[in-house]
Amino acid sequence: MLKNYVKIAFKVLLRRKFFTFISLFAISFTLVVLMVAAALLDHMFATFPPETRNDRTITIPYVRASGEHFESTGNPGYGLLDGYCRNLPGAEKFSIFCSHAPVTSYVNGQKTVSYLKRTDGVFWEILDFQFLEGAPYTNENEKNADFVAVINQATRQKFFGSGEAIGKNIELAGERFRVVGVVKNVPDYRQIPFADVWVPISTSKSKVYRTALRGGFVGLVLAHSPADFPAIKAELVSRMKHVQMNETGFNKVEAMAETVLETTAREVSPRRREGNAFELLAAGLVMALLFMLLPTINLININVSRILERSSEIGVRKAFGASSWSLVGQFVVENIILTLVGGTLAVALTYPALAFIGQSRLFLYADLHMNWRIFCYGFGLALFFGLLSGVFPAWKMSRLHPVQALKGGVR
Amino acid sequence: MIHLSNVEKVYRTDRIETVALSNINVRVEQGEFISIMGPSGSGKSTLLNVIGLLDVPTGGEVTLNGRLITSYGDRSLARVRNEEIGFIFQTFHLINDLSVVDNVEIPLLYRKMSGAERRKRALKALEQVGLSARVHHFPSQLSGGQQQRVAIARAIVGGPRILLADEPTGNLDSQMGDEVMSILKALNSLEQTTVVMVTHDQRQAEKTARIVRLFDGRQVN
Amino acid sequence: MMRHIWKLVWNRKRANALIVIEILASFLVLYAVTLVGVYFAHNYRQPLGFSYDRVWLVEIDWQRESIELQPELEEEKEAAMMRQLLTAVKEFPEVESAAAMSVVPYSNSTYSSGFTWKGRQVEFMFNRGTTDTAQVLDMHLTAGRWFTEADAAGSSFRPVVINRRLARELFGTENPLGQVVKEEQDKVERRVIGVLEDFRKDGEFSGLQSYMFEHATLGKSKGGQPNNFVLRVRPGVTAAFEEKLTGKLRSMAPTWGFEVKPIEQMRESTLLWQLIPLTIFGVIVGFLLIMVSLGLLGVLWQNVTQRTKEIGLRRALGATAGEVYAQIVSELLVVSTFGLSLGILAVIQFPLLKVVDFISPTVYFTSLVISLGIVYGLTVLCGLYPGWLATRVQPSEALHYE
Repeated sequence: MLKNYVKIAFKVLLRRKFFTFISLFAISFTLVVLMVAAALLDHMFATFPPETRNDRTITIPYVRASGEHFESTGNPGYGLLDGYCRNLPGAEKFSIFCSHAPVTSYVNGQKTVSYLKRTDGVFWEILDFQFLEGAPYTNENEKNADFVAVINQATRQKFFGSGEAIGKNIELAGERFRVVGVVKNVPDYRQIPFADVWVPISTSKSKVYRTALRGGFVGLVLAHSPADFPAIKAELVSRMKHVQMNETGFNKVEAMAETVLETTAREVSPRRREGNAFELLAAGLVMALLFMLLPTINLININVSRILERSSEIGVRKAFGASSWSLVGQFVVENIILTLVGGTLAVALTYPALAFIGQSRLFLYADLHMNWRIFCYGFGLALFFGLLSGVFPAWKMSRLHPVQALKGGVR
Repeated sequence: MIHLSNVEKVYRTDRIETVALSNINVRVEQGEFISIMGPSGSGKSTLLNVIGLLDVPTGGEVTLNGRLITSYGDRSLARVRNEEIGFIFQTFHLINDLSVVDNVEIPLLYRKMSGAERRKRALKALEQVGLSARVHHFPSQLSGGQQQRVAIARAIVGGPRILLADEPTGNLDSQMGDEVMSILKALNSLEQTTVVMVTHDQRQAEKTARIVRLFDGRQVN
Repeated sequence: MMRHIWKLVWNRKRANALIVIEILASFLVLYAVTLVGVYFAHNYRQPLGFSYDRVWLVEIDWQRESIELQPELEEEKEAAMMRQLLTAVKEFPEVESAAAMSVVPYSNSTYSSGFTWKGRQVEFMFNRGTTDTAQVLDMHLTAGRWFTEADAAGSSFRPVVINRRLARELFGTENPLGQVVKEEQDKVERRVIGVLEDFRKDGEFSGLQSYMFEHATLGKSKGGQPNNFVLRVRPGVTAAFEEKLTGKLRSMAPTWGFEVKPIEQMRESTLLWQLIPLTIFGVIVGFLLIMVSLGLLGVLWQNVTQRTKEIGLRRALGATAGEVYAQIVSELLVVSTFGLSLGILAVIQFPLLKVVDFISPTVYFTSLVISLGIVYGLTVLCGLYPGWLATRVQPSEALHYE
């Protein structure tokens, strides 16, 4: 039966080429947009090197310090992370780094701007950077405040051309660092690892950061397993109650451990205070559905038209004993075949779309590729879309009265 | 009134030429009631279409009230159809989405006329065919005979001098067919309307004054 | 005739409902994008209030040695150094003029303030600039004057320069010059000495905001010191000067960080980031509209095929080809008018509920008219081909079609 349906479906599609073209255009356009969105989200949140253990990492990116008159929110300070966030229960490793900032250098009189991230040595143990040359700096370098740097491929190209960089010096904002390692470029939508140049925190000009409770730093916790997250979050909240305040005007500080998804949820939430990853996902889903609304109505419209055109076929089938349900089945199968063809087209179109976004100035070092996860999203979306746009017309078709249908009309 | 001389109609597709009509000469006078008879495919409907200006003959001349209409353009043909000719079809051809009275009003829509005047004339035409009680029904709610009476009301609402009927009784049982025939006869005798009817029902054809017989696109007399 | 078409549309309401919904949804999506587009275009035509030509920026990072322990002492030292640096910058032959200011054009930072004025809350953007700021940025004053060195010599009031929008908001049609603005807790009164045409820090596409400038003296002052220099370089100065300037500043204040860049560069990236979302949504909506148009074309085409019999009949009853064409297009117009009326009902809620109070009525109605025009245009375009098909219907054939 199914084989028969599939055969008829292809014949119908080939018979009315214009309708097939419109449907395929609508389906593949819709799916391309959704798949590109899915691909971007996948590249932002899924496991990619160097974040190979991101299912077990959780960050401390946000503190809220409050006093009688003020409230200040932002990144925590080194003092707070170093003094109160080490050895959390369930934590295997703990690293501190500062959020990346642009620094200027002049190479042969040409100005270049690079993003600099200051980190400790553990940073390189939690994250799995792919080294092209040399090795990361260590906690020892951090302790001695050695002026050493790890740079990415693009920076090596800018400063040293195609040659090797190990052992050479690089000048950043007027200070010299010795290059100890070169890593593959990391795109800027991976906020935790991203930078052009990584150097030890202790090379910072001023030492004030050592005691500051607020400002500029992020804590990175590698837990034994994701199951430890609740305990880590709870312990952090309780430890914050014992923090010795060293700034006038503030008497309380709160810090939060968040997964990357939760951070994003907090950043897009209207009050920017707390993020709920579940709500973020729900909001994303609602937006995707809203976006699909217009294409769906469009496709339903086209499908209803196709059905009216085929009313005599339906009349004949009914007259010869087809049940309403079998007709619904037939039409839904036809529509799903159509959406799957559209889905295949969409997958093919997603490649150039991703390449285009990768080349645009939207992201730095974007490395957007199709992968099996995105392919599965696309496939699932196509099926869902096919069902959504096929059920109403099919129901309408099944209600056609055979005599009327044979006469070729419905009112 | 209607003069067809040496009318010929040939359908040409890529390779095949089909001769639908050849060498037809018919004169219909004002107030006549004639029927056109012949087996299926003999060209009856094509002839009626030519008389009704729905089809342009490939040869010969058609004159209507002394005007040579073979050379008319689309706009003029439409005007003549609208004002001088009324059509009745075997399958009624009512618009299902419109009520009975709206269907009857259609020919008047293509004239300059107020809505109230249109409505008045449509109701009068429906009264003439005895359907005053059904004006707000939809075609699908009526029997076949009633639908054909609506179609007749639509054909006469514009006051045409010629009625062209294509198998008007073909889809009706004999009782309903007789009813329709008697309405056509009454229109012919009371209003002096010329009626040209295509049929293959010998019984109905005999009720008319003259019969034109066709076979394979040719007149046989 | 119109009534007849209305009846046809109404009696086919179930079939038309889907088209109505589709037109409604397309209109809403298009309207949202058009609104932003028109808003940007409207903003673009307003005066910017400054010029960025040959203006460079020096961002200074003080790298404070201790935080908040002895803020006064720290600030005094910083102010002294800032004065020396500014003098040094002005001495370069490449530099035409230089000044210090808190928030520079096209930067990400904002500094907003507000107070209660005659019983209502007035919000405005806030900035500080030294005596030469207006000259460097070529800011236009419509009344009064910019700050002078004489203002720095501790007077009993604090002089402020506000933009026209804030002047209108605070004083209506009264002359704002010499007026006193006093916050409730403030001990020192602020007096308006000048009115700026405008100062739209976020650039050409940004919305209009109220703005207030205070005098920065690089001396003892309540509140923050500006940590940026703006300078206008002479024509023909190239990027090589950046290195020279940075070197000089670093040698004078080795513990501080300096970032030198032309404002033109920041302008480019600011405008780019403002336009990117609009472009993305514009492209998506464009595709949606193409998709909807094709869909509509298909539906109408199918509709005409299905109604061949009806069209043939009309031709037989005396309708000209033009009349049949007009009927098809008119039906479509009735259906789209229906969908668009629902759309207008939906968007009219926004000004009624005051959801979009930042958008002016002009922008609101211009985008409404544009979106209505586009949707009408597209629907009519979609009807052209099916309408033409309808005129090709041969009545003699159509009426035999069963």
